[in-house]
Amino acid sequence: MSTHQNPPTLPPRFAALQTYIHWSLATETERTRMRNTSQMAEIVAFKDAMLVEVDAIVDYLNGFPLDAMPPQEAALMHMLLSLAEVAPAVEAYRQPGVIDGYAFERFKADETFVMRPPI
Amino acid sequence: MNKVIKLHLHDRYPELGKGPVPVEPYISAPYFDKEQAKIFKKTWLHVGRVEEIPKAGDYFVKDLEACEASIIVVRDKAGCINAMHNVCSHRMNQIVYEKRGQARKFFCKFHGWAYDLEGKLTGVPEEESFFDLDKCDHGLTRVACDVWQGFIFINLDPNPALSLAEFMQPMFRDIEGYPFDKITTGFQWSTVVNCNWKLALDAFQEAYHVAYVHGRSIADAIDTAADGAMPPLDALCGEFHRRLSIAGNPKSVYGNPNAVTAGGAAAQQAIADSATAKPIAAAALRAGLGSATHQFRKEDLPKGMNWTGHDNWLFDINVVFPDFYLSLRPNYFQAYNFRPLSQGKTLLEARVYYPEMKTAGGRFYLEYMKVALRDVLLEDLSTLERTQSAVQTGVKKEMLLQDFELLVRHGAHVVDRIVNEETKA
Repeated sequence: MSTHQNPPTLPPRFAALQTYIHWSLATETERTRMRNTSQMAEIVAFKDAMLVEVDAIVDYLNGFPLDAMPPQEAALMHMLLSLAEVAPAVEAYRQPGVIDGYAFERFKADETFVMRPPI
Repeated sequence: MNKVIKLHLHDRYPELGKGPVPVEPYISAPYFDKEQAKIFKKTWLHVGRVEEIPKAGDYFVKDLEACEASIIVVRDKAGCINAMHNVCSHRMNQIVYEKRGQARKFFCKFHGWAYDLEGKLTGVPEEESFFDLDKCDHGLTRVACDVWQGFIFINLDPNPALSLAEFMQPMFRDIEGYPFDKITTGFQWSTVVNCNWKLALDAFQEAYHVAYVHGRSIADAIDTAADGAMPPLDALCGEFHRRLSIAGNPKSVYGNPNAVTAGGAAAQQAIADSATAKPIAAAALRAGLGSATHQFRKEDLPKGMNWTGHDNWLFDINVVFPDFYLSLRPNYFQAYNFRPLSQGKTLLEARVYYPEMKTAGGRFYLEYMKVALRDVLLEDLSTLERTQSAVQTGVKKEMLLQDFELLVRHGAHVVDRIVNEETKA
């Protein structure tokens, strides 16, 4: 979760990514807001750091069940989901938000939708 | 690349004409009043999927301004799904305040009247103080409710002109059997857009806009003709509903969704082609391979899917009259409702459903696909309020439609036929 007082810690294997722990956000709403309120340079720095480790992160996290991830692994999982969140910013728009797009705050994700996955 | 295709789709539907289409129905309040009375209060409306209420007592509430109604949809102990007005028989309080939940019975919070999951009145506090009260006569008011392929529909008309099967099957019988029941991971967004519901739906009924509105995002996922156009593979129009089939670019991750469930050469090509320009996309596809709980083979799909049999088929748009956009891909689907709140206000409820993924890698892939889709929706939505304002200036009385915008023309035609004639939807 995004409590600033107690930022989550990452599994020791990925401790080098702790610098980017503010991208460890549990909901789509938080991740979208983070992307849209960040500078492009911050997004690219996060993306670069994640991308060199992405296959190792996936291999590591695949060893844990999605519906019962321990806190450190869940924190890393949320960073992986943030990497997906910034993909269009990096690979399509070259800016944080959708070019000429509808205001992201108006298009609300239903975080309680009953068919959502566990993480 | 496709050859340049000149389909002349309109030649098959001479009754629709080829002339300009009036825009008055997008801005007229009296026209909207007729749509409410003759369409939204008289036809089948999609409200959700059976997986949302798997157990007896599971319910959700749909507020339908277009019908001036609030409807409880609930699964009863026999497993049937019932729908009833959220109005107590005593002094009309809303029975349920929550948007969804689990109930053994519904208790009105005003005076404690109790109703069972079929809407029967089962308990009245101080019943002896009422006058000749027969509880059998005062259950919740039921509305018609039925299920097609796991989609729950309601109809406010207690005696619908057509059964749900009669309504759906002329256009959609040969897509029955699509694996909806294996595509059970859902995401939902909602927004209120300041535009007419038809104007919103129209933006999703053609691919002519893709090269422009989606030029930076997913345009490369659509198969492109030699002249740069993105003609549809084909289009079909029925008495109410319509369909459009679109080809994809199998070299892109977004344009080849079955790569993740099929794997093999298709996946390797999409990964290789994306590795440099779209490394996150390529990483997501690598991560997702082998994670889906089910296999989805194109050859197992019902014959009505990809009805032209095109090798690069990507998806079919199905528009279920009046306001339900159902886009079916080999292994995931989108379900959007463009539900009017008033003449110039539309509630968009957008849902996308994917197969359940067993691993973190699969979940990462789903998030990539979902975010890409959501951003495409932000692109689609970007034109709607601007267009509505422009229509309302009144400077243009008609719009001009090309051959590949056949579905927009058909939509306008069907609504106008029902609004202005005495036919029933």
